[in-house]
Amino acid sequence: MSDFTFSKREYNKHCLNEARQLASTQLNGMKRAISRTKRHGLSESEATELSERILGLSNADQARIRISSGRRSFARCADNRLTTAGGSMDISVEITSVFGKRTASVTTNLLSDAELTEAVQRSEGLARLAPENPEYLDEPGPQYYDAVDAYYDSTGEMEPDRLAGAMARAIRGAKEAGFVASAYVDVRAGSEALATSNGLFAYHASTGVALTLTVRAQNGSSSGWAGDESRDWNQIETGRIVADAVRKCREWQGKTALKAGLYDVVLEPTAVGMLMSRVMGAFDARSADEGRSYFSDPAGGSRIGEHLFSSSISLSSAPAHPYGERPPFDGSGTPRRPESWIENGVLKNLSYSRFWAQKSGVEPRPSAANLIMRGGNVSLSDMIQSIRYGVLITRFWYIRGLNPRTISYTGLTRDGTFLIENGEISRPVNNFRFNQSLAEVLQNVEMLGQPIQVAAGENSSVGTPVIVPSLKVSSFNLASVSDAI
Amino acid sequence: MSIRQHISDRVEKDDRPPLFSLSRREFVKAAGYAGAGVVLAPALSAGCQVASHPTADPYELEMAFLALDEARSAGAAYADVRVQRTWSEGISTREQQITGVRYSDSYGIGVRVLVGGSWGFSGTRDLTHDAVARAAREATAIATANNKIAPQTTDLAPVDTYPEGNWVTPHDIDPFDVAVEEKADLLFQANAAALGVNGVRFVSSSINSVKENRLVVTSEGSVIQQGFVRISPGMNITAVSSDRTDFQSRGSVADPAGRGYEYVLGLDFPGNAARWGEEAVMKLSAKSVDPGLWDLVLHPSNLWLTIHENIGHPTELDRALGYEANYAGTSFLAPPGEVLNKFRYGPDFMQVVGNRTECGGCATCGWDDEGVPAFEWAIIKDGVFVNYQTTREQASWISDITGLSRSQGCAYGQSWASIPFQRMPNVSLLPNAKDDLSAEDVIAATDHGILIEGRGSYSIDQQRYNAQFAGQIFWEIRNGKKYQMLRDVAYVTRTPDFWASLAVIGGPQTYYMGATFGDGKGQPGQSNAVSHGCPISLFRNANIINTA
Repeated sequence: MSDFTFSKREYNKHCLNEARQLASTQLNGMKRAISRTKRHGLSESEATELSERILGLSNADQARIRISSGRRSFARCADNRLTTAGGSMDISVEITSVFGKRTASVTTNLLSDAELTEAVQRSEGLARLAPENPEYLDEPGPQYYDAVDAYYDSTGEMEPDRLAGAMARAIRGAKEAGFVASAYVDVRAGSEALATSNGLFAYHASTGVALTLTVRAQNGSSSGWAGDESRDWNQIETGRIVADAVRKCREWQGKTALKAGLYDVVLEPTAVGMLMSRVMGAFDARSADEGRSYFSDPAGGSRIGEHLFSSSISLSSAPAHPYGERPPFDGSGTPRRPESWIENGVLKNLSYSRFWAQKSGVEPRPSAANLIMRGGNVSLSDMIQSIRYGVLITRFWYIRGLNPRTISYTGLTRDGTFLIENGEISRPVNNFRFNQSLAEVLQNVEMLGQPIQVAAGENSSVGTPVIVPSLKVSSFNLASVSDAI
Repeated sequence: MSIRQHISDRVEKDDRPPLFSLSRREFVKAAGYAGAGVVLAPALSAGCQVASHPTADPYELEMAFLALDEARSAGAAYADVRVQRTWSEGISTREQQITGVRYSDSYGIGVRVLVGGSWGFSGTRDLTHDAVARAAREATAIATANNKIAPQTTDLAPVDTYPEGNWVTPHDIDPFDVAVEEKADLLFQANAAALGVNGVRFVSSSINSVKENRLVVTSEGSVIQQGFVRISPGMNITAVSSDRTDFQSRGSVADPAGRGYEYVLGLDFPGNAARWGEEAVMKLSAKSVDPGLWDLVLHPSNLWLTIHENIGHPTELDRALGYEANYAGTSFLAPPGEVLNKFRYGPDFMQVVGNRTECGGCATCGWDDEGVPAFEWAIIKDGVFVNYQTTREQASWISDITGLSRSQGCAYGQSWASIPFQRMPNVSLLPNAKDDLSAEDVIAATDHGILIEGRGSYSIDQQRYNAQFAGQIFWEIRNGKKYQMLRDVAYVTRTPDFWASLAVIGGPQTYYMGATFGDGKGQPGQSNAVSHGCPISLFRNANIINTA
C-alpha cells in the first residue's frame, strides 16, 4: 500500500502569525489594486445608514437591528458533468422591538420605507401581545470589540467561470483515473451588522469558501473524499483535493470484511473536526447547572475546574484565527474574545448567555466562535506505525446524538476506511457505524498531529471554522458494519 | 367506504372559477409562450374547505415575463421563473415564560435557465426591473459558461401547460390569523399541565407556522400560482431524578402538517401534556433494555421517519445515479436496470405510494416547481420496487427502462434563492387492505416484542443500508400485551432485511401521517417539508441495542 501520510499544506509550513501577516499584506495590496471593485454585502456606512433608518422608525422602549447581506454562489458537478451552478443576493434585517420585558422579532428582506415601517410596526404589535419574558435584559450599549478582518477579496471576487473551472478540474482528475467526480464549491461574501437603540453598533464583513470532492469508481465499488474550507480562496488547494480524493478512491477499491468491535483508530483531521464540532455544542453553563449535561456536577452546578480529559487536550476559540475568523460579537452584541474551554484536560469555561451570566454572577461568554484544538507533532504515518491492530478513518456521516449525559453520538464512517496491522495499512475494509461517547474519546487520545482547518460540515457548505489535528484514539466503538460505499 | 377514502381526504377536481382576471389572461397570451398541449381549466384544486384561492400579483407576473424575455434573448433554450414569498412565525416557550416570538418575511425571484444542456440559476431579493433583468442575464451567462466548459445534453420530459394554474393548501384557520397571545396561552396551559406532574422539571414548547406564495412561470407557457400553509407544534418535557444523576425527556409529541391552525387545536396539547409528563418521569425508573433480538411494533409516529430514511431517500433517482454522492450519498437501489421491477423490498402486502395529493401532507401541492401536476403513483407495488422519484430532466434518464415519458413531479426549490431539484413527495405505506386491524391486534401478534412511539435519534448510512433508529417511548410486549416501560432502546437494521421482516400491518384505523420540515439534501443544502403516512406495523426479530 502507498504511504498514507497526510499531505502537507502550505498552511502548516509557516507559523500562523507569519502566514497571517503575509496574507494581510497581500490582501491590502489587492484591495488597493482593485479599489473600484465593490465588496458584496452592505458596507459599514450602508449598514449604519440602514440601521439608523430602522431605529428612527421605532416607537418601542428599546430595539435591536441585525442586518445580514451578501452573495452566495456555487457550482456542482456529478457523474463527471457540471450539474448546477448559480448564485443569489439577499439583504435581510431582523427587527427586535421591546416594551418592558415583552419582545418580538420580525425579519424581512423588503426594504422600502413603507415596508420597513410595516415591519417595525409588526414587531411592535407582536411585542405588545407577547407575554413578558422575565429573562429579558436591556439591550447593551456600545461595546469594545477586537478588530477582525475576515473579508478576503480572493474569495469575494470569485466569478462563475472560476467556480466552473474548479469543477472541471475535479472532473478531469477523476476521468484521468477512470473514476467519477462529484464535487461542490460554496462561496459566500457579505456582511453582518448589529445595532441597538442604546447606541451599540457592530459590523463584520466576511467571506468563506468550501470545496469538496467525492470520487467514486464507475461501478460504485469504491469512494474517496477530500475537501478544504477557509475564508480565503487562496488557501483552498484544489490540486491536493483532487489528488487525495482520487488516491482514497483507488486505495479503498476491493474493500474487505472487518468485524464490528472496539478498535484503536487513527482519525484524519476531517473526522476529528466532525466529532469535535459536537463537543463544542456541550459547552453550555446553563444546561450544566440545570443537571442536563455531561458537565453537570451531581452536587449542583458545573464541573468547571475538574480534570476530565487527557492532559493533551486543549480546546479553544479565537475570533481572529487566520482564515477561520468569526465576528467579534454574538447575536446579542456580547463581545466574543479568545476563550479557552478545555486546557490540558481541565474544563476551564462554559458559555454563559447574558441572562445566565447575570444570574450566576459572572461575565457573559458567548458560545464557541470557532473550534481550535491544540495539536501535537506526530505524523499520520507515525500514528499508523504505533498501532498493532486498528482502523484508519477518513471522515464520518450522519452524526446524531444518543445521550447528552455522556456526549454520546452515533454516525458512520465514509469514503476511505482501512485496517492497520502491525504498523501498516493492510487492506481497505467495510464502513462502520460508531456509537461512542465523545467524552471518552477525549480521555482516550494517545497521539496528536498538526492542526489544520477542515471542511467539517456534512453538507460541505461554509460553516463554523474548525481547526483540528489528526488523532490516535484507543477503544473506539465501531458498533456495527455498514455495507454502504 | 374504501381505504383511501377512509384514510384521508383526497384532492379532487372541482369547478371553481379560474384565478386570473381577463387582463392577466391577455397578458399571458400577449407574452406568446403558450404552445401545444395547453390545459385551460385548473387541473386540480382543493377537496377540503378552502376560503379563497391565491391571486397572482400583476407586478410579479410582469417581472416573471421580463425574466423569461431576458433569458430567451440572452440565448436560453428553456427557462422557469419562481417568484416566492415565504412568511414564517415561531412562538417558543419554556416553563411559564416566552423564549421567542419571531416572524419573518422573505421575498424574491429565482431564474433557472438551460443553455445547451447546462443549467444556470440566479436569485435576487431586488424585484426592480433592472435587478430582475440582471438576474436573468446572469443565470444565462452562468449556463452559457458552463456549457462551454463541459457541454452536455439535457432532455426535459414533456408536460402539459397550465396558463391559469392555481392551488392552495386546504385549511380552515390561517395560522397567521391567530394572535400570538392565543398561541402562547395554549402553550402555557400545556406547560403548566406537564409541570404539574411530580418529577417534571423543564418543559419547552413551540408553534411554528409557515405560509408561502409561489408563482411559477415557465417558458413553455405555464403560469401557476400556489399558496401553501404548514404548521409545526412541538413540546419537550424533561424529568430530572431527585439526585441529579439522571434525566429523561419526552419529546416529538406531535408532527408537522400541511394544515391550518385547526390542526393544533385538534392535538389538544393542554389535555395531553400531563400524560406526556408522566411518561418522561416513568422513563427515569424504566428498565434499561436487554440487547438482543426482539419483535418490533412500530407506532406510525416512529415508523414514518424510518420510511422517510430507508424508502423515501433510496428511491430518489438522482441519488441512485450518483448526483448527490458528495453529500446525501447514493442509493443501494442501483443501477436502475437491475432493480426496477426486480428488487423485492418486502412482503406481497407491502404497498408504498408517492404523491403530492394527500390532504394534510407537507409535500402536497397542485403542481411542482416545473409545472408538473400532482398525482399519485406506486413506488413499491406488492412488495416490489417499481418507480423512482423523478423530475422532468431525470425522467429521460431511465425512460428506456420505465417506458415513462413523463416526470413524477418531484421538482422543488426551498426558497426564491434556491435552484429547484429532485425532492421527496409524500411517501406513504398503505394500511392493511384486507383487515382493519387495531393497534391492540398488532401488539397481540407477538410474545416478545417492543412497542416504540415517537421519533428519537436516527442515523443511516449514505447508501441507506445500515440504520440505527431510537424513539421516545418504549414498551415491552410480553405475551401479546404491553407489559412494562423500557428505556435506552434503539433498533439497528439493514434496510432490505428490515422490510423483509415486516410481518403484520395495522388497518386504516391506525393510519397516521408523520412529517418533517427539515428533509435536507443538496449543495447548497435545502430543506424540504414532507409527510409520510403509515399504519402501526410489526417486524420480526429486530436487532435491539442498549444506548445508555
